[in-house]
Amino acid sequence: MTRDLIIGMAGSGGDGIVSAGESLISACAAEGYHAIMTKSFGSQIRGGESSCRVRLAIDPVLNPGGAIDVAVALNWEDFLKFGAELPVSGKTVVIYEERTAVAPDKLPLVGVTPSEVFAVPIGELARKTAGTDKAKNTVVLGLLAGWFGIGQEAIVAGFRKKFAKKGTELLEANERAFQAGIDYTLEHPLSTPRRMERPPTPGQKLLTDGNDMCAAAAIFAGCKFFGGYPITPSTEVMQFLSREIWKYGGTVLQAEDEIAGIGAALGASFAGRKAMTATSGPGMSLKGEIMGLATIAELPLVIVNVQRGGPSTGMPTKSEQADLYQAAFSAHGDVVRPVLAPTCVADTFATTVEAFNLAEEYQTPVIVLSDQEIAQRKEVVDPIDTSRFRLVERRRPTASELEHYVRFRATDSGVSPISQPGMKQGNYLGAGIEHNEHGDPTASGNVHARMNEKRFKKLEPLRRREDLFTIEGARESPLALISWGSSAGVCREALRLAKERGLRVKLLVPTLLYPINEDIYKSFFTSVEGGLVVEQSHQGQLYRLLRMYVDLPAGLRSFARSGANPFRPAEIVDTLRNLSLSLQRRVQDKLQPQE
Amino acid sequence: MQATAPVCAPKDFKSELKPIWCPGCGDYGVVQAIYRALANVGRPPHEIAFVSGIGCSSRIPGYTTAYGFNSVHGRALPIAQGIKLANPDLLVLAAGGDGDGFSIGGGHVPHTVRRNPDITYIVMDNQIYGLTKGQLSPTSPKGLKTVTSAYGSLENPVNPLMYMLSYGAPFVAQGTPADLPGLAAMIEEAIRYPGFAFVNVQSPCVTYGEEEQQIKAHKAHMKPLADLAHDPSDLLKAFDLSQAYGTELYTGVLYRNPAPPPTFEALARARQAELMPHALPRERILDLFLQE
Repeated sequence: MTRDLIIGMAGSGGDGIVSAGESLISACAAEGYHAIMTKSFGSQIRGGESSCRVRLAIDPVLNPGGAIDVAVALNWEDFLKFGAELPVSGKTVVIYEERTAVAPDKLPLVGVTPSEVFAVPIGELARKTAGTDKAKNTVVLGLLAGWFGIGQEAIVAGFRKKFAKKGTELLEANERAFQAGIDYTLEHPLSTPRRMERPPTPGQKLLTDGNDMCAAAAIFAGCKFFGGYPITPSTEVMQFLSREIWKYGGTVLQAEDEIAGIGAALGASFAGRKAMTATSGPGMSLKGEIMGLATIAELPLVIVNVQRGGPSTGMPTKSEQADLYQAAFSAHGDVVRPVLAPTCVADTFATTVEAFNLAEEYQTPVIVLSDQEIAQRKEVVDPIDTSRFRLVERRRPTASELEHYVRFRATDSGVSPISQPGMKQGNYLGAGIEHNEHGDPTASGNVHARMNEKRFKKLEPLRRREDLFTIEGARESPLALISWGSSAGVCREALRLAKERGLRVKLLVPTLLYPINEDIYKSFFTSVEGGLVVEQSHQGQLYRLLRMYVDLPAGLRSFARSGANPFRPAEIVDTLRNLSLSLQRRVQDKLQPQE
Repeated sequence: MQATAPVCAPKDFKSELKPIWCPGCGDYGVVQAIYRALANVGRPPHEIAFVSGIGCSSRIPGYTTAYGFNSVHGRALPIAQGIKLANPDLLVLAAGGDGDGFSIGGGHVPHTVRRNPDITYIVMDNQIYGLTKGQLSPTSPKGLKTVTSAYGSLENPVNPLMYMLSYGAPFVAQGTPADLPGLAAMIEEAIRYPGFAFVNVQSPCVTYGEEEQQIKAHKAHMKPLADLAHDPSDLLKAFDLSQAYGTELYTGVLYRNPAPPPTFEALARARQAELMPHALPRERILDLFLQE
């Protein structure tokens, strides 16, 4: 029985390939499988080619995976456009439209011989049973359900929901097309059966993507204001909130530009409400000045950056992790602000809630560095127990503190009680200009130095937040992986794979990327001789950032490449293996003179 | 919310900070007019949020006892809207110079107007950049020689009054500190107007400004609209008068929409009231993603 299956499908815009993928992952969620679905499109707004990958498994799915087990090509031209995203191997079952008139032994896959090949009259079955070519994707679902044993009932239940409002005629047509697919598989069985094992616990799963999860987390955290501007691939955060936040007494402002979006959010925070903005690379560049204002005015604010390929317009629909430097350093003046990164859709909830907590606790802007991969992939998520989350509210002045209120009062922690308009006796001047404890503008070097010290000091408790780091694998391992964001999921699977191959490896995943917690890294490195910092950027930004703050083990390398070239677990393990051999040679060299 | 008798006197709105403005700066008159207007409106300082950008005039919130926010260059309006939407009960003022409002922040003006938040926006228009010592501003007349236009500016000035009328602002007025009681009354009326209200104040820069834009010249040449029997509900006439910006100094309310349109925050509140009964409990928000 199969426990882990990766399906890759491609077709032209009207073929409904992505819609089939969505039906499939919904059925997976209903059946109790873990699953991830990623989509990829050509650059056209409508039409053009589209593809999707669905990976379903009994165990948690940590990343979209490598080579596909099942390839579905509605036409070869479109399929080949996604060559790198849908790699076919010798283990792949290839299913394609017979009408393409390509012979099964002459597939346009250079140098690859798939394990089984089926030329299926997909369009013909659709027309015969549903009377339209549009049901091709439903026939494909029948083929997948039949050959790989993915819940037929769940898929049909999905149709019922989907077509409920469109009339019984359409529903019945789709049911017939689906059955035609299944019947085809009964007449043409796989030579090596690959049916999925049944999940142990059916039902009660969540299905969503990182952007919706981020927005839901904001509502849970008590966010009452969102200001933003549409930008790929973060827009869904605003879209979700524009549907939901009103229900919680909140407001969404689609601003005239990125600056107004963050400006309004900062205004809402000044007025005492939890507030957020979300954007992607170019928008982040525009928001820089107001992020600095939030730092010096000591106002809580959550800024979500869904990273995409850059610089400039770069590659708006592709994932990259090259905005870490920007998150950490894009400010004039001495600035430190927390930067957090989620590692998967599920983790986006906890990370976003944490961002609100840090912002409120320390009266600071906090950046959530998501990435396109997490933000736009659909993931089956186990239910999250929200009662285990503590929510932080900003420290407001007490009645006695209001008697002689001093907004930026020097305290042991560096955090000063914060009032808000409407609060009697709490009046103060918030400002981007340097100010004394009372908020009065100053040009005094002494006051400036004290205020800088205050703004840094209040973040000191972050040094004790070991819970913002995950360490997996054997504690005393000489080999290490460090990774963040969506790449961390690949490394988690690489860790599993390395163990199977007899490599002793441990993995550190920081949720808190900046400020760098030197102690955590130092203690992690005590057993480490070599390893890889895995991230999707040309420069290897986390690796270099770590070099700035921590003494790294001599054998720790950067394993980085530009976005839109996702890592595969196997290549990470292969690289670790080579690294381990080279470290062994170094040990040998040391041993020889003693002999 | 509106008191019948003033609960505060003008002095209650004056902070202890000493202005950085040059002696004789028009902004002294503007801040005095604001003290008087606020005293008459009757809201206590802690219920007022006063936002500004950057420039000489943007220091103004600090000279009041209201909650002030002296933000960054050009962004007073977005920040003020965030405040108003977050807490519609507050009295929200925004202020700044002509550079702040019509150059670096110019893109925010039409969008603020079309949303119509109940915010009063006071621009201290001196046709020059004072804080950075005498450069060309967006309202500087064509041909003006400054340190950045050594041979005279090649650009036409923007016309703040016509801009605001064209964008659809429901309240547009112009004043000068040369007529302090008139300015105070105009600001009070703007604050009381239930919607976005714009007051352009010809506030002279004594250090870098032109001779004909000083208080003395204003006193000699200003034309109160009241004397012209202008009907502020007449939009076309207001447009007509606004064309004289830069040549004639009309003071008073140019336009006042007699049927104030609903404010953004009122519409937002209505939407919240309509949708709040449909909310899942916050701790169950993830049920939206449940697959059964």
